[in-house]
Amino acid sequence: MKGFTLRQITRMAVLTAVALAIFIAEAQLPPLVPIVPGIKLGLANIITVYALFALGPGQAGMILLARVLLGSLFAGGMTLFYSLGGGVCCYLVMLAVHRLLTRRQIWVCSVLGAMAHNAGQIAVAVALTRTPAVAAYLPVLLVSGILTGLFTGLCAQFLLSRLKGSSPPRTTK
Amino acid sequence: MRSTKFWILLIAAALVVCLAAAAAVMLGNTGSCVARVYQNGQLLRAVDLSQVEEGYTFTVSGPAGENLVQVEPGRIRVAAADCPDQVCVHQGWISTGIAPIVCLPNQLVIQIQSDSHNQQVDGVTG
Repeated sequence: MKGFTLRQITRMAVLTAVALAIFIAEAQLPPLVPIVPGIKLGLANIITVYALFALGPGQAGMILLARVLLGSLFAGGMTLFYSLGGGVCCYLVMLAVHRLLTRRQIWVCSVLGAMAHNAGQIAVAVALTRTPAVAAYLPVLLVSGILTGLFTGLCAQFLLSRLKGSSPPRTTK
Repeated sequence: MRSTKFWILLIAAALVVCLAAAAAVMLGNTGSCVARVYQNGQLLRAVDLSQVEEGYTFTVSGPAGENLVQVEPGRIRVAAADCPDQVCVHQGWISTGIAPIVCLPNQLVIQIQSDSHNQQVDGVTG
């Protein structure tokens, strides 16, 4: 792995494992809102947001990608396409906004990321089912995305402020 | 750096817009009666739910196994499915165009539309 030190690779591996454990534990929960499938807390995104702010975009992207690929192995089926579509959109949006935010506004990053995740998932669902009507879910999912994104974002923000002393500076190469 | 107030207002505005759109989708598409069963984007069956007198079931098979679709007067549901997640089964009965039943593993969509006033939900994407 060119460009990453052993320390960084190890830290990414640990964070990927934590994110994967959260993802799988969350997948065991019953649906939060039975009428509209697909609404979930997205707790694993806490790790992505944490990594983005504490370790930078490169490592956060690697952790997200590894978690999505491994997570869909465990969850099975079509999960990969939805997670990947949502994950990539979420990552790109968070990448774009994270430089505009102070450390007390980290939750904004998560909210916008969650909304992008919903949009990406719906786009993949429309493409896979070839049924544009699936897009009718989007506003409902966006409402849930804003609320759950706020929750996970605040989790990540508190995590970052508690770990401030031990986390490395954002400019590590 | 924007002030926190800016972000709160931006996200609150987005929340209001989404809530309004969600409410429009939920409430706007009622009073419809024809359920269409699509697989992979192709229409398999159209059932006029207002004409159903006695309930019946039929199966749809797809890449992930079979879905047992149950029809009753005015409503339709997936009663059983071979897929692991059972999202379509948990959704239960639908009787309006509010939310289509979607079974992703089998690429199955059951959607209720009104024939007289054909609401194109995909306008939402624009």
